[in-house]
Amino acid sequence: MSRFYYYLILINMIANIISAVPTILLYYREDGAVSALIVGAMLGLVIVVIYTKFFNAFPGMTFPELLVKTMPKWFYYPLLCFMAIMWFVAGASTLITYTFLLIRYLTPDIPIMLIGLTLIASIIFGCFMKTDRVLYTIEIIFLINFPIIIFIIIKAYTSKSLDWDFIKAAMLHVVEMPNMNVITACIFLSLGVVNLVIFNRFFTQKQNFGLKQIIVVAFSSIATIFTTYFIPMGFHGLKSIDELVYPWVATSDSMRMKFFLIERLVYVFLLLNLSMAFLSILIHWHVAVELFKFVFRLEKIKYKDIPIGYLIIILFFTAASLFLIVTLTEYQLFQYSKYFFNLTAVNFVTMIFLLFYIARRMKGAKDSKN
Amino acid sequence: MSSKEILSWIMNQFNDTVELTYKPLELDNKKITVLYIKSLIDQELFQKYILQPFFEIDSEEKLQVYLMALPQFQEVPSKEEGLLYVMEGNVLVEIQENLYAIDFKLSKNSDVNSTSVETTIHGSELALSDNLMTNINIIRSFYHEPSLTIEYFLKGEVNKPKVAVIYDQEKVKTTALEMIKEKLKEIDKQVITESPQFSNFLNQKRFSLFPQMLLTERPDRIVYNLAGGKIVLLVDGSPQCMMAPVVFFDFMTTMEDNYHTFVISNYLKLLRYLGIFVCLLLPGIYIGAASFSPEVFRTEFMLTIAGSRMGVPFTSFVEVLFMLFFMELLLEASIRLPKAISATAATVGGLILGTAVTEAALASSIMVIIVSAVAISTFVIPVNEMAFAIRIVRLLLIVVASIFGLAGLTLGFLCLVMYLVNQTSFGEPFLRVYNYRKENKKSEGEA
Repeated sequence: MSRFYYYLILINMIANIISAVPTILLYYREDGAVSALIVGAMLGLVIVVIYTKFFNAFPGMTFPELLVKTMPKWFYYPLLCFMAIMWFVAGASTLITYTFLLIRYLTPDIPIMLIGLTLIASIIFGCFMKTDRVLYTIEIIFLINFPIIIFIIIKAYTSKSLDWDFIKAAMLHVVEMPNMNVITACIFLSLGVVNLVIFNRFFTQKQNFGLKQIIVVAFSSIATIFTTYFIPMGFHGLKSIDELVYPWVATSDSMRMKFFLIERLVYVFLLLNLSMAFLSILIHWHVAVELFKFVFRLEKIKYKDIPIGYLIIILFFTAASLFLIVTLTEYQLFQYSKYFFNLTAVNFVTMIFLLFYIARRMKGAKDSKN
Repeated sequence: MSSKEILSWIMNQFNDTVELTYKPLELDNKKITVLYIKSLIDQELFQKYILQPFFEIDSEEKLQVYLMALPQFQEVPSKEEGLLYVMEGNVLVEIQENLYAIDFKLSKNSDVNSTSVETTIHGSELALSDNLMTNINIIRSFYHEPSLTIEYFLKGEVNKPKVAVIYDQEKVKTTALEMIKEKLKEIDKQVITESPQFSNFLNQKRFSLFPQMLLTERPDRIVYNLAGGKIVLLVDGSPQCMMAPVVFFDFMTTMEDNYHTFVISNYLKLLRYLGIFVCLLLPGIYIGAASFSPEVFRTEFMLTIAGSRMGVPFTSFVEVLFMLFFMELLLEASIRLPKAISATAATVGGLILGTAVTEAALASSIMVIIVSAVAISTFVIPVNEMAFAIRIVRLLLIVVASIFGLAGLTLGFLCLVMYLVNQTSFGEPFLRVYNYRKENKKSEGEA
């Protein structure tokens, strides 16, 4: 498998650590979170495998192109439009979470509008890059940050404040019925693969996706989910953890680097996650922009030779996310994220049937051609 | 057009000058006409290979065969070519209604220079010369491949220097070659004196910050890059050549990397990359830490910074700009000044200004350390054009950091990466991580 494929999956997993996912997981810690983690991880893996196999069968083709070949117009335009909005919301939710994080921890004296605007401005133009350039950006930024990620993980697992007894106690809840919200949040963690709907354009050759690759993906997703849930648990214990708005930030603040220039690991963590959030938003919004481009034929909307179609999208993205940033509170964000995760999980699980249908139609088309 | 008419047409072009020499020679039954510009040709050669044989060889036919056998012999296909030949230092010879050009160019600038911009400890000290033919001679004698192709163009409206496009036919990236030839066709209007200027004409984006071509004076670098599939452009009269397409990492390597052992060259590479991070980010980090989030760094350290900033009347942003401004001035001054004075400038600027500014409490002493660290790490970047680009980007990052603190600095850096990735140099992505091992069996395409 091309290395760029793993970036898509990994970035999504890492970036979600600062979004509402860990909060949701930990919120239901006594109502079947642990068993749900297992179910969620399995389901996530199944989705990853099915989506990868599907897109691997049509190298170089994007999902819209496949739909055009197999589906009627009335069906795919609304579907793609819905998907585009979904990806926009996914990016926006990361954006909003990170804006809140920044104003809370790093730059409290800057107006929230300005923070949001700076984040949006730095990302929005990148979304219009070509798909391969987006992937190159992801690779370089990821490689620069990779040592820091490893460092933080090692630091977390070897920390003296990490109490394995808390983790063991939390694990005892495994006997409860799995919680639906946790399952969907878990699935969302491994949904990075769905970005292939556009990014498959880049993988023009048939990839080798066998047992070895599946094991790699499975390992990384299980490790991420385990870390996301149990590390904050180990630091803070079962009882008091729901008082934390951002469990992972609080967790990283429990770690110290005694001899380094920066003593509190939380700032390293924040800046690291700023770049990860940046990449995640970049990926999501790139897909959203491409889908919008396909649905509305943006490049054709012109006013005196200026392609205002793109301008409309930029304005829409900026205005919508700024509006959300200003109006939402952290509690609302948490609630809505929960609904959004449910929606995505349901959507992408049902879409598997659609994928099977498309695959059959495509096969039929191929056969009739020969 | 007969040879007589061509000659008279050429002479008409030079009507107003006295430079052109026209000599009909006649002896016994032999008759030739020579035409040349006196200041351009080597008169000894002319005397030895044309005049002397003219008097010694007894028939016109033999003389013609002799002329055609000369290694400097060239045919003259048209009157325009003939004019160019004259201006390039050829002697036009008319014999038996035929017109030939014999190359007797006198060149005083064909000495091979020694490296002055890209100096190294190990490796050759040889650099290109000012003369195109000498340069091609150097390249040819280091690169023994029959597939090495050289094409000549004449560019520029006024001075028409010869431009050579050199590439290895088997390894060259064909799309880039086509793009370069396309662009070469389009430049015609300017006076072209040097390679760097030429590279600006080839680059059609008006506001491009990062160099699109790599300039070098080292033949070993040229050979190395020719083998890597790059296209080399040489301009007559310029001791530097351009290479394209380039990627970001080309600007971060020196030829010396190949001459050291594995560990040492990797250590030096690491040093260089750390240097580029330091000179890009350090001023921004200082601003972010001193003005926005002092809690990020450990308490003792921040207290030291705050203590040294005691009494400084400016914000950290002004302080950084103030010191960087003087540093950049110092840099510019020491480039322009004659060697004898530039040492004084460095002393006055570096030592006296540095200590005086802290004593006057116009900048903190930590600021002076940062500025000098930044200056030094800028020099670590091996190719000058990249260093210039980085200096500009650094200013932008300082501005971003002063508006938005450390988070802004991080975002600015990410945007820089994104900008670089989005650049192309003649069809090649400017910044991407290459996997040379798998280059041939790549499992993904470009979209």
